[in-house]
Amino acid sequence: MDFLFFISALVAVAGTFLLITHRHPIYALLGLLVALTASAGVFLALDAPFIAVAQILIYAGALAVMFLFVLMFTDTRTDEDTGLPKAVTARAVFDVALTRPARIKKKKEGEPSKYNPLRFLAPVNPMALVISLCLLVCATFAIGQLPDSFGAFGTLPTAYDGTLMNPATVTAQEAAANPNYLEYGTTEAVSRTIFEGFPLAFEVVSLLIFAALLGAVLLARRHLAGTGMPGTQDVGKESEHA
Amino acid sequence: MLEPKIVLFLAAFLFSAGVYGVLSRRHLIMLLMSLELMLNAVNIVLVTFSRVWAGRWSGAEGTGLIGAHSGQFFTLMVMAVAAAEVGIGLAIIVAIYRRKHTADSDASADLKG
Repeated sequence: MDFLFFISALVAVAGTFLLITHRHPIYALLGLLVALTASAGVFLALDAPFIAVAQILIYAGALAVMFLFVLMFTDTRTDEDTGLPKAVTARAVFDVALTRPARIKKKKEGEPSKYNPLRFLAPVNPMALVISLCLLVCATFAIGQLPDSFGAFGTLPTAYDGTLMNPATVTAQEAAANPNYLEYGTTEAVSRTIFEGFPLAFEVVSLLIFAALLGAVLLARRHLAGTGMPGTQDVGKESEHA
Repeated sequence: MLEPKIVLFLAAFLFSAGVYGVLSRRHLIMLLMSLELMLNAVNIVLVTFSRVWAGRWSGAEGTGLIGAHSGQFFTLMVMAVAAAEVGIGLAIIVAIYRRKHTADSDASADLKG
């Protein structure tokens, strides 16, 4: 378990660095994918196999594909690609509009920067770095202030059957013989928690996801004109398309 | 020996990295990705606390099946809300891109005085 955790943590940190340092969103997405998958390993090390599988299905599966699709839809170039402050970029665009030859000359001058080994890294934002490091220091201090009971993971109860079985007195074989045998973190235990403990929250979340589905379809539609939706205008011929 | 504090430190690091990503990038999709990382760090904290609580066997009220798995249930809720949030967020980004032809967050400043 310890081994699994430390390997997963290492991979998660590596993926995080990939996410926050890379300039191109596709590579950053790859880093996010690595970090989220490694987090599934962390969940597995924390005796939560159901959460680990859900993590891979939802985050690494569905969300990553959604991000990838939108990255393909949109232009991934931003000012970050030029490595220039925004004002300079705006001026460069202005120059292009007035004097086209100047731009060509500029491009040739900029050629050697292609061979810069750090060209794929996003420029470091010192203010953001200071703020996030302060946050990390504060969080580390808070973790250090935790009571001693957080010094170790205790032994899990052998089984859950409404009343717990003491791991000191009940062996695993005896617990498994119980018809209501439930192990910590398994699908059955988590599903019974959902439906016996929090059924209303579960239903509300399913409604939320349905609403999000409808909202996403509505927001991303191409032709809103002619649908009579508030905030849209008929644009003549296009309204027949809608 | 694996300690809860080590896991919590990993979560704190992931959260801080997410904050750095949100603050330093201008691409809207990069913002959403860093946000996902922060939510994931919170999930790790929830699962850790759930495991710590389950390990404190006492047989008393609140340490039964539901009490021991509450943190994992909250994690599932966070995942569902994150999925909904990303769906809406990406749809908004597509709409913004269609209107402004850029995914730069600084481009959406129409309300700026």
